Amino acid sequence: MSDAGAPQPGHPDGPDSAGMLRLGKRAFPPGQPLIMAIVNRTPDSFFQPGVTWSESAAFHRVDQAIAEGADIIDVGGIPAAPGSEVDVAEEIRRIAGFIAAIRSRYPDIVISADTWRHQAGRAACEAGADLLNDSWGGFDERLADVAAEFGAGLVCAHVGSQRPRTRPFRVAYPDVMADVLAQTLREANRALAAGVQPDRIVLDPAHDFGKNTWHSLEVTRRLDELTATGWPVLVSLSNKDFVGESLDLPPEHRLAGTLAATAVSAWHGARIFRVHQVRESRQVVDMVATIRGDRPPARTVRGLA
Amino acid sequence: MLTAAALCPAPPLLARELTGADPVVPELRQACREAADVLVQADPDVVVVVGAGERTRAFDAAAAHLDLAPYAPALGARPAGPETLPLPLGLGGRLLDEAGYHGRRELQAVGADEPAPACAALGASLARTAPRVALLVMADGSARRSRRAPGHLDERSAAFDAAVGRAIRDGDMPALLALDAGLAGDLMATGRPAWQVLAGAVNGGRATSVIRYDDDPFGVAYLVASLTVG
Repeated sequence: MSDAGAPQPGHPDGPDSAGMLRLGKRAFPPGQPLIMAIVNRTPDSFFQPGVTWSESAAFHRVDQAIAEGADIIDVGGIPAAPGSEVDVAEEIRRIAGFIAAIRSRYPDIVISADTWRHQAGRAACEAGADLLNDSWGGFDERLADVAAEFGAGLVCAHVGSQRPRTRPFRVAYPDVMADVLAQTLREANRALAAGVQPDRIVLDPAHDFGKNTWHSLEVTRRLDELTATGWPVLVSLSNKDFVGESLDLPPEHRLAGTLAATAVSAWHGARIFRVHQVRESRQVVDMVATIRGDRPPARTVRGLA
Repeated sequence: MLTAAALCPAPPLLARELTGADPVVPELRQACREAADVLVQADPDVVVVVGAGERTRAFDAAAAHLDLAPYAPALGARPAGPETLPLPLGLGGRLLDEAGYHGRRELQAVGADEPAPACAALGASLARTAPRVALLVMADGSARRSRRAPGHLDERSAAFDAAVGRAIRDGDMPALLALDAGLAGDLMATGRPAWQVLAGAVNGGRATSVIRYDDDPFGVAYLVASLTVG
């Protein structure tokens, strides 16, 4: 499966044997899908650019996301795509105060910082973040040290050989899923070695990152191979290009495609879903959890009276 | 002779695990629990659970089981081997378990097509099995009480169920024996044979009753009552 010498479930240095995922003060069992709501403190992200650039709009989004069933708020200060430079100071300025304000208003909500830089990670943790969502596959190796120091969680993503804020250029893999497994497990091992708590490590195949659409489709189709490692898996599918290219639709028309990919990923056992549209995503993952038998139906009467 | 009886409906949703996260009918379950408790407190020598089955026959209470998996496969099937009880008998047995009853228990199915005289004769014979016999009668009224009911609306349902309710309330057993089996079938009132077994078991005695629940939240008539016979 992988040459990374991966720890297996139940191993003292592998995933939690009961599958528990701990984020902040909360503990989540397997079978309970979690919605991570995206709140971008950017003027130029690809989906609804600038919609939560102002602090009041961002706060409104946080309130709405939590009301619609979000478990995690993911705050980002830098778009994934290439664009105008955002230095460390500016990134911290965008996210740290905002994270502190969310923490103050919602003491128990899980807060995630979407960053790859250890300085920003540190500022986020000091402000109250519980999880460092590194979409760039451990590019800054010191980020894991920060997570360990603060007892925070860490997302270990697959990006192939791509550097932050670049687009894939003619990427090719002999077997993309094998590469995803190898890289994410290598990053998980590195996180463990850095002292990140094993029940706070999450794997992310990172759709579209270091991948063309064919790669992202393959990863979606074979996501069960990643969930079989026993590590909690996060998927970030929301309105991405692999959905748009599959359906030939621009970002504002990718919700249905996103939800289809969400359903397949949930069926394969993904546990965290990073989304723009919380209400719809919540319904989809709850429905799939109910089909899987992980969650009871809300209320059953049909044919039973 | 018959000294006490309890009347409860037997819809699948009486089983808490079949209604999902929402208890849906907590008042109905509570009323059934109270009826079972009162029945057990009457200190019977035997409790006979009576309910509709494919045909009239007794089941071995020690060997046959309630199995809800046919209604909800996610609950997991029972291991093969033990006989599965008709749902009314299984639910009735569960009510006795929950009431903490450990005494002698018999489970009697009565066929859906059993005519009234045969039902009455069965009831009379059950009442003779011990000095103090208690009956737990699992029986439902019409399933055609509204447009949203399982059987849609049949206007005759209201009068039918009202007659049953009146007969139970007034201890009027001849009225139960007079119920029209054909009409009951039309109205999807599956409790008809079991009510008539009750009437046969009372067998001339004087029955007084307490109605604990009388409603049709899903278009099926549910009646919960406690009867004392003297």
